[in-house]
Amino acid sequence: MLNYSNVIENDKSYPGLQMREIKPVMKLIIRGKKRQFLSAVGKSLNLLLPNEANTSSRSDQLTALWLSPDEWMIFSNEILKLDHNNYDVEKLLNKNICKTNLGAVTDVTDQFVLINLKGDKIFDLFETGSPFNFNDFKSKKGLVTQTILTKIDIIVHNQDINDVNLFVRRSFSDHLFSWMNDSASRL
Amino acid sequence: MFLINCPFCGEREQSEFKAGGEAHIVRPKQPTELSDDQWAEYLFMRKNIKGIQFERWNHIHGCRKWFNMVRDTSNDEIKAVYKMGEKPPVK
Repeated sequence: MLNYSNVIENDKSYPGLQMREIKPVMKLIIRGKKRQFLSAVGKSLNLLLPNEANTSSRSDQLTALWLSPDEWMIFSNEILKLDHNNYDVEKLLNKNICKTNLGAVTDVTDQFVLINLKGDKIFDLFETGSPFNFNDFKSKKGLVTQTILTKIDIIVHNQDINDVNLFVRRSFSDHLFSWMNDSASRL
Repeated sequence: MFLINCPFCGEREQSEFKAGGEAHIVRPKQPTELSDDQWAEYLFMRKNIKGIQFERWNHIHGCRKWFNMVRDTSNDEIKAVYKMGEKPPVK
């Protein structure tokens, strides 16, 4: 099912912090353990999956986030067209990964909401509701972590300095965004 | 509250983890040959030591991987963390 309805209705801006939903962006979860899996994904996407924990890799069109030793999230760097949800990348991976029994590919485009945060107060906001230590994280471009923010599971991708992508499950996104607005207004 | 060094993700706070009970419990090879008492012993009986305990933990809000931990239950000091299938590094 296509679900491009807005969860987050308006972009929000506070001193040192801007928050907005980015959509539609393709998001895939890929899982596999074998060495052939890594090379097949690399050849298919022209993108090496990050082996090191809590890191990411990026090509012109795609970004791959390390989630666990055998799990990665791939998302498109650019905003896609609204009229369909057939992705060439998914088809290619299905052909080269699933049909060869090397791993699994799951489309999570509609499952996760991508919220982009910009500004120098991003981590001040996170620190009000997360147990994760962001001290080293915030200064290193490309780092990724899965943690909790106000008891909600999130994936944080430090895309650039003061530019962070936050992935949250759609059912929690409305509540999380309203909590973030409330918290940001008190920073 | 204490910090746990996930063998996959690194040091994280305890609230990201879920305790999974005692580690290294081996399933009997022939369950049908066991008496009800022996089966109940395997299924339900767990140690509750004050001191060094071997436990399973899951990084449920992170990488979602299971691993083993050696913890002193009297002061929450973590003696070792090791992956599933590995032998405990301490006795």
